[in-house]
Amino acid sequence: MLLSVLVYGFINSVILAMVALGFSITFGISRVANFSHGGFYILGGIFTWYGLIKLGMPYFLSAGLSIIIIGALGALMYKVILIRLRGLELSEVIATLSLGIVILELLRGLGVFGYEFRNPVFMDGSVDILGVGVGIQRIIIVCAGALLLILLHFFVHHTKMGLAFRGVAQQEHTALSVGINPDLVSMLSLAMGSVMCALSAVLILPLGVISVDEGYDILIKALAVCIIGGLESTLGVLVAAFIIGYIEVLTSMYISSALTSVVPLACMLGILLVRPSGIFGKSKEIEERV
Amino acid sequence: MEYLKIENLRKTFGGVVAVDNISFEVEQGALLGIIGPNGSGKTTTVNLITGFLTPDSGKVMFKGRDIAGLRASKITNLGIGRTFQMVKPFYRLPAFKNLVVPLFSPRVKRMGGHYGEKDTLALDILEDIGFERDSAVPYKPASILPHGYLKRLEMARVIALQSELIVFDELYSGLTLAEVASISPMIEKLIEAGKTIIMVEHRLKELFKIAHRVMVLDQGKKIAEGSPREIMKQPSVKKAYLGVEL
Repeated sequence: MLLSVLVYGFINSVILAMVALGFSITFGISRVANFSHGGFYILGGIFTWYGLIKLGMPYFLSAGLSIIIIGALGALMYKVILIRLRGLELSEVIATLSLGIVILELLRGLGVFGYEFRNPVFMDGSVDILGVGVGIQRIIIVCAGALLLILLHFFVHHTKMGLAFRGVAQQEHTALSVGINPDLVSMLSLAMGSVMCALSAVLILPLGVISVDEGYDILIKALAVCIIGGLESTLGVLVAAFIIGYIEVLTSMYISSALTSVVPLACMLGILLVRPSGIFGKSKEIEERV
Repeated sequence: MEYLKIENLRKTFGGVVAVDNISFEVEQGALLGIIGPNGSGKTTTVNLITGFLTPDSGKVMFKGRDIAGLRASKITNLGIGRTFQMVKPFYRLPAFKNLVVPLFSPRVKRMGGHYGEKDTLALDILEDIGFERDSAVPYKPASILPHGYLKRLEMARVIALQSELIVFDELYSGLTLAEVASISPMIEKLIEAGKTIIMVEHRLKELFKIAHRVMVLDQGKKIAEGSPREIMKQPSVKKAYLGVEL
């Protein structure tokens, strides 16, 4: 029992981290909180499903195309909508949230409901880890998550574009003064976050059915992880994902699985009371905020 | 063709006219000082030229092309560099990485780049500008550097950019006399290297030693322009600065 908590808690945490990473990356670079994250997630899953099941494309092709389309959608959302709202934070939130709801409810209206909407796992079978049987798909998710983190770290710290991204995140005016176009960087950050969102959908959705409600759930989870960890901190995302991930698994095993969905929100509220900027966020004194 | 020609530049914020039909020219290779009391429109003028603000009307002709209203990053890439009055480094990057960012800019690429590895180049520029090469200073994050170093870093950024027209916005403010004395020769060196410079400055004594021409602003209007010697004699300048008729 304890071992299965350990193993499944770990997997659940990696899943949470992957789901939250896209949201966190976009916010960290361009300060845009992309509340259409859940919509993009389900849309990525549905596109993959459509290509695979309805059009008979190979899995990787269908998944790859979906990821590219969702990335382009993120960029387009910046180019068409957000660019006009820059600096109006509340309007940005309303705009992205609306788009997310439109996507999800449109899918609901089109009849996306039921067992038929399901992406197959990449590979059948399971392996034994610490005496606990774990499906191969979950192993793939953990490996992909680790790989993604390494790639992300390399990108941010060792590439020219990563440096430009950090420049814009730290001092937008100075970035402008050295010839970096912050609008372009923000657009790319939206694309990047959306690509990561779709990628996590492709990897994670085969574990269950694709449902509209899952979209709302994913948004709440991503938000909770980011807020608990500190909005722009990648390390914070990891730590928070592991906190929520394990509490969720413990709750479902020892208390009731019906309460699992409350965990992220309860943790988020708790952190907001104690440390509003999150564990690794730059805490601001009250005087600074008012 | 004039190098930089500003024509009837105007900018209002709400009902306040911050810059009121200002016109002036800067010859290539010259150093123009812009002085005036607080709120006279100096920094607004700088922001209008460098694209950080869009003028309500007027032209900014740079090498025959009207650049008014272009995006700041675009203007940078055309060769106009600027520093900020309140220092604005990339706080969480080490000092030398602050220069690697401009070294990657399209401007530097178009100019044929600097030879060598970017990190080394950044360290070279910092050494030239007074960062001790073998110390830990160039590797410290900008957030913990003293003010004097941060001002030098502002200057180093436009040097790394290879800007041909450089606008210094109150570069000397907050610096000790000794620090100013060490930076002034660097500015003269930039002029010798063929750069054109506009300096917004409150430290008149230090400015007048190196400026070729000086323009005086008061309440958004140009009230005088001439050589430093002429400007010092102007009664209107004394009045704008000291608030009394002498």
